[in-house]
Amino acid sequence: MGLLHRLVLVASVVILLVVAYYLLFPLNQYVVRLKVSTTTSLYATGLLEAIAEAFRKEYPNVRLEFIAVGSGAALRIAERGDACVVLIHEPYLEHQYLMKGVIGGGRVFAYNYFVVVGPKNDPANISGVDNVLEVFRRVYVAGELGRTYFVSRGDNSGTHLRELMIWGLLGLNPGNTSWYRSCGCGMSDALLIANELEAYTLSDLGTYLKFKKGGKLQNLELLYINTDDNLTINIYSAYIVSKCGGDERRYGELLINFISKDEGGVIRDYGVKEFGQPLFYPVLENESKFLSIWEWFAYRRFN
Amino acid sequence: MISDETLATILRSIYVSGTATLLASVWSLPTSYVLTLKRRVGVVEAFIESLVGIPTVLLGLLLYLLLSSSGPLAPLGIKLLYTPQAIILGESILVTPLMISTSYRVLKNSVVMYSELALSLGASKTQIMTLIVKESLPGVVASIIMSFSRALGELGIAMMVGGNISGYTRVMTTAIALGVVRGEFEEAIALGLVLMAIMVVISVTLKLINKVYGID
Repeated sequence: MGLLHRLVLVASVVILLVVAYYLLFPLNQYVVRLKVSTTTSLYATGLLEAIAEAFRKEYPNVRLEFIAVGSGAALRIAERGDACVVLIHEPYLEHQYLMKGVIGGGRVFAYNYFVVVGPKNDPANISGVDNVLEVFRRVYVAGELGRTYFVSRGDNSGTHLRELMIWGLLGLNPGNTSWYRSCGCGMSDALLIANELEAYTLSDLGTYLKFKKGGKLQNLELLYINTDDNLTINIYSAYIVSKCGGDERRYGELLINFISKDEGGVIRDYGVKEFGQPLFYPVLENESKFLSIWEWFAYRRFN
Repeated sequence: MISDETLATILRSIYVSGTATLLASVWSLPTSYVLTLKRRVGVVEAFIESLVGIPTVLLGLLLYLLLSSSGPLAPLGIKLLYTPQAIILGESILVTPLMISTSYRVLKNSVVMYSELALSLGASKTQIMTLIVKESLPGVVASIIMSFSRALGELGIAMMVGGNISGYTRVMTTAIALGVVRGEFEEAIALGLVLMAIMVVISVTLKLINKVYGID
């Protein structure tokens, strides 16, 4: 074995050891990392960053780390113990994981409304209708007549499951029709597709407003929003993950408490300046009311 | 014009992908050199080449399961998930097949061309190795640049094991993905342009260095 051979070998081993050491013992362990798995809608609207900023003022030694994924993935990550707090809006799934003991200490902390958006000329004639079942029925009829499309998220997200539930309550199954387009994508992509196809879709208000204001949805209008329709209420809950312990758990519980009280009115005020209306409403003292709505959703599945 | 956060994201991307590429070269380059000395490595070569196109999100998922708190490494006290180090590890594994297969070809060419000649002229083993490494340097450098580009441009691993955590594991590709989700297309495109510019600048610089030193 030549000298160079040996040198390369020794150098490789040394570098590997140094890197391995560095990989195994990451620096900056002086702060508490609080990992929060969350649904994309909360993060993409920017609300969580506003909450994080307010939380940081009170607890400067905690670093909030948001992992924004779909509702299903957020719970899977929790189940594996890779996050300490879960923020989510899918009561049926939450109920499943509560029964498994994966999550606990739940609080409903915010709500808003699902809306139906569609093409300006409204071929299904849904504007002015006062309940979401009738809206979907008319979209179904218009679709069958070949006048329009419906874009479905198709990704098992909270929004997708709500859509399936509404079809289920109507006893309709549009899954195999040519006008029902299941994209398997996020809310933003679904809205963009609906805009291109001049189609209807079920959306959360926040994402729609954000994209509409950005001028990306020129073919779409907000056609159905009804704050009295319980079927379109979208309830956000916070849970502590059972596997989480120590300092992270302590601060996780503080975070959930902080969010539930909406200290500083972060949730109440978020989006008012930019969109002229709030994107989320804090639950606060109405907890028992929203808990009963939550339960109604938690025990039902229509797909 | 560029916010501090964006700048930090860009620098983090370069740091993460650069470290990953260097790390990968520590084991990839010696491996391909060893491969050139062996006979009948066709099967190994084919196997490694087939791994070049592995979907990054699949590798990301496997690494997630490995590094997760419920994963097999957890009892050893390794807490790497959702850290930049996890992305570095993932990307270094990702680019390994690419680096081995591209550098192997260059090294093999040099070995075929020079080793017997050098041997017949009475060169020692070390001298032969030095000669081969020197002759194939431009190709090896190109292989490293390709690997760096692949690491810098990949999304799946950074998303799965990095988590796109603001100010910590957010890199350019995950920031672009977030820009798309948030409807901030302009920022996403601006970051995309920066990403391309970095790749071009690095590639051109290394080519120039090669030229100046007369290796090319």
